Amino acid sequence: MKNIKIYSTPTCVYCKMAKEFFKKHNVAYTEHNVAEDDAAREEMINKTHQLGVPVIDVDGEVFVGFNRSELEKAIGVK
Amino acid sequence: MYDLIIIGGGPAGVAAGVYAARKKIKALVIAENFGGQSVVSAGIENWIGAKSLSGFDFARNLEEHLRAQEDLEIMDGDRVVRIEKNGDHFIATTAQGKNLETKTIFVGSGSRRRTLGVPGEKEFNGKGVAYCATCDAPIFKNKVVAVVGGGNAGLESVRDLIPYASKIFLLNRSAELKGDPITQEKIRASEKVQIILNATTKEIYGQNSVTGIKYADAKSGEIKDLLVSGVFVEIGSMPNTDFLQGLVELNPFGEMVVDHKTQSSSLTGIWGAGDVTDVIYKQNNISAGDAIKAVLNINDYLHKKK
Repeated sequence: MKNIKIYSTPTCVYCKMAKEFFKKHNVAYTEHNVAEDDAAREEMINKTHQLGVPVIDVDGEVFVGFNRSELEKAIGVK
Repeated sequence: MYDLIIIGGGPAGVAAGVYAARKKIKALVIAENFGGQSVVSAGIENWIGAKSLSGFDFARNLEEHLRAQEDLEIMDGDRVVRIEKNGDHFIATTAQGKNLETKTIFVGSGSRRRTLGVPGEKEFNGKGVAYCATCDAPIFKNKVVAVVGGGNAGLESVRDLIPYASKIFLLNRSAELKGDPITQEKIRASEKVQIILNATTKEIYGQNSVTGIKYADAKSGEIKDLLVSGVFVEIGSMPNTDFLQGLVELNPFGEMVVDHKTQSSSLTGIWGAGDVTDVIYKQNNISAGDAIKAVLNINDYLHKKK
């Protein structure tokens, strides 16, 4: 099983879309709300230099934003 | 061969799809995604029939309504990159290389955010350069940021950033802010906000991520430098008409010129509605209504041709 982390904010629509995408494919993920969780925010920024959400980490492969076809490839559906 | 190809999954494309299905037109909808630009909106309060809904729900409602139509083909995750006229019909080519033949085309490809086009903007996209304060404001907690653009979107970005950022510079190109006075009052009331007028953005720079922005004072010509960790760009939108260049008449803004009675373009067989066109008011409800006008006119056209 793949280890999937989503760094998100509650107001980000593309984060919601990404979460719905994983739910639809019955793929488990852990979510880190970077609006509240200072440590997760620092981790996201240090790991990826990204200052925009969602940042999605699939087994160490980092995806920025919600790109359905890239994520389909990454989790091996389609 | 399709009777109609509908380009776009925003309110225009979806309204066109629903009406095409009801008119039993053999149609295909090509949509990269659904909902249009309102998808990032925290709350839409002017979509008639819904007191309030999020951009996310708006997008989902549109997609569900479209998918509920019988005998309507939908191709999502792809987009049209070229249209060629071939005799009395058209060939649409998609980004994924599909060639699709059709008698008529409805364009509802909408518009996209205008970018500054200055050095560093592309390089630091997502690394400090941001286009959605609603999404990303919390990431700039205790950081100094700049917002470029003094229209409503720019002012709303400042408003979204006030609870998080330690300092917000608002850079406005002209001598006065264009956004609504009520929002101006709100942001002027915050000590965190500093408004800089007559500022033309020249460069965004940094290392791993953004560390500063340079702008020219339009009056003195002097280049000034601000140390910021984030730059939010809100300077309006540009129509998605790249694939229509040389095919139909575009106005100087790049918008598709349409007859506002029928929504037909300068080229017989192509119609359009919504933000991609030269409609004065860019509104979800208008996009949907104009798209319906277009499809009813397309229906008449197809019947006359038979």
